[in-house]
Amino acid sequence: MNPNAPPSSFQMFFINLGHTLFSNTWPWWAAGLGIGLTALGLAWFTGKRLGVTGGFVEAISAAAQDSSAKSASPWKLWFIIGIVLGGALANLGHWNWTWLYGRLDAITYGSIFLKSLWLLVGGFLVGFGARWAGGCVSGNSLMGISTGNKMSMLVTVAFLAAGVLVTNIVYSMLRIL
Amino acid sequence: MALKKKPTKLKKTARKLAMGKKTALPVNNGNKGDKFLPYLGFGALFGYFLSKAGATDYDTVINMFRPSDVHIDKTPGGFAFHLESLRLYGVLGVAIAVIALGLFLLENSQKPTLSGKGLDWEPLKWDPDRILGAFIFGTGWALTGACPGTSLAQIGEGKLVAIFTVIGIAAGVWAYPKWKSGSSDKEQVC
Repeated sequence: MNPNAPPSSFQMFFINLGHTLFSNTWPWWAAGLGIGLTALGLAWFTGKRLGVTGGFVEAISAAAQDSSAKSASPWKLWFIIGIVLGGALANLGHWNWTWLYGRLDAITYGSIFLKSLWLLVGGFLVGFGARWAGGCVSGNSLMGISTGNKMSMLVTVAFLAAGVLVTNIVYSMLRIL
Repeated sequence: MALKKKPTKLKKTARKLAMGKKTALPVNNGNKGDKFLPYLGFGALFGYFLSKAGATDYDTVINMFRPSDVHIDKTPGGFAFHLESLRLYGVLGVAIAVIALGLFLLENSQKPTLSGKGLDWEPLKWDPDRILGAFIFGTGWALTGACPGTSLAQIGEGKLVAIFTVIGIAAGVWAYPKWKSGSSDKEQVC
């Protein structure tokens, strides 16, 4: 068999399947469907409500060995560990460690120190705000809105309003700089 | 078989007796018996789809907040939509619609969950104070391009700087109750 021969259509099918599963981003509707079915699957199999902030709460109380909070819901800890694995699985085809982070590299002048500091401060606001708001995008926007909760709807509008405002401030300031 | 089953039954009864009043609570609270694998699996699925949605990509998140190149071209055959910048709104919309429909069907079915019990959650209580927290969250979301879920998936993807986002989130989650003492009675986190 000629090793330089182009792959057959049979082989191409599996090559493309591999790219779709382990490298490429999906169309928005397909990814949305996947996220929705995951949340429904979790609800049906375990009766639990999908949420990530609770996992962080669980993790820090486990780290602080706060035995009273520890017993609350350890499943959330397993759930957030799973998210890390899922992120790896989705990019197995071209997986590698990287310090790059899109357009933020230009904002921080390619300095990893500055970028880390930026993300540390931003991350703090995310964590602080998420606990205050009673959940993050997964808990409030996905599960809250789909169950018709008015608080969650309002919180989601505030998430997006602040996001739009701050992003535009940051990027229009950079144009002046 | 009968011999094998008997001791476990006895053990369970002994445990129930030892636990005293707690036996009245649903079994879910005896978390030691919970299996971790389903949660790990659904977590992996969630992270997988977040990554496939592009929600773990800083530029995609920034595009959602500051859309670039959104326009509709008139072509001889009709229209060409250039709405790629807004894809995350589409992801969120489809996901919410699927969950809303699915939960409606589950709640109206004979068996809302595998175990036959109802869904184990309560809705977020009304508290306008939360909106301030939501603004802080949105600010952080815009700065980092990540929310708690996607920051974890980013680490899985090999994005090393996401480690700092996750440390920041953990610090924020830890700091909130210290700053807002006495909030524990109404604390509710999904």
